[in-house]
Amino acid sequence: MKALIVDDSQIMRRIIVSVLKKAGVNDIAEVSNGQEALDALAQDKEIALVLLDWNMPVMTGIETLKHIRTTNKQLPIVMVTTESEKEKVVEAIKAGANDYMLKPFNPQDVLDKLQKFLEQAKK
Amino acid sequence: MDALSIHPFIDSVHDFFSSMLGCEVQLKETRTLGSGAISSDIIGVIGLSGTAQGVVAVRLPEKTALAVIGRMVGAEFTQVDSSIIDGVGELVNIVAGSAKGRLKGHSISVCLPTVVKGDIYRLSNLHDALWLEVCFESSLGEFALIVTLKATPPIQQEVVREGANSR
Repeated sequence: MKALIVDDSQIMRRIIVSVLKKAGVNDIAEVSNGQEALDALAQDKEIALVLLDWNMPVMTGIETLKHIRTTNKQLPIVMVTTESEKEKVVEAIKAGANDYMLKPFNPQDVLDKLQKFLEQAKK
Repeated sequence: MDALSIHPFIDSVHDFFSSMLGCEVQLKETRTLGSGAISSDIIGVIGLSGTAQGVVAVRLPEKTALAVIGRMVGAEFTQVDSSIIDGVGELVNIVAGSAKGRLKGHSISVCLPTVVKGDIYRLSNLHDALWLEVCFESSLGEFALIVTLKATPPIQQEVVREGANSR
């Protein structure tokens, strides 16, 4: 399976790449904002999981999520963000996020949380 | 800002170091920061806006920055490069973003972070706001958290809310 990491921090992308590789996901694309994510998804139909930051330049994560859901309801999208307020979590879930992970995180916890999506993708 | 408002930010620093670095930090000292403070460290800065406005900064000596960002990604850094700069920006982003969720009774947005590295610079006070500097030590080195936060006057809050609703 192929995963797409959308985060404006190269360090955060590097950490998430490391987590995904530990889970056996080696086909990984990285972009640094929501617009680049939309472009990547339009060009690459192999992407089966998106890890999406919220606060990014050009296009935020929540805007990106809403754009994706206008055409693709099935693609698993996990928000990985510092936005911990209840209303933000509700907004993301209502917009179609499949799961929500808060920064800071323990990389092992991320790995555990992603397992269900990785197993779904293998089926 | 009042002294109690600093606690969510201190808690966020503890959480960041504990969960992402597997490292505990000890609080050494809390003090007010004068506008004449001079530093030659690396500093990540992020703005806060909404029902309160202010600035959060994390100041790290170069040695601490190399150790902290190295631990984050499991690599060894020997000099400050784009990864270190990016990592310090992400550190302050996580600390501020995590803390704003703990600030009860406020609706706050964080801006995108900025990282400054220079030989000499000064942090200047915004208006009459109080800046608090919290000094920490850890096995990765010493560093400091700097916060100023002031409630936004009600009339400005209305403008903020209208702006937020229009997005």
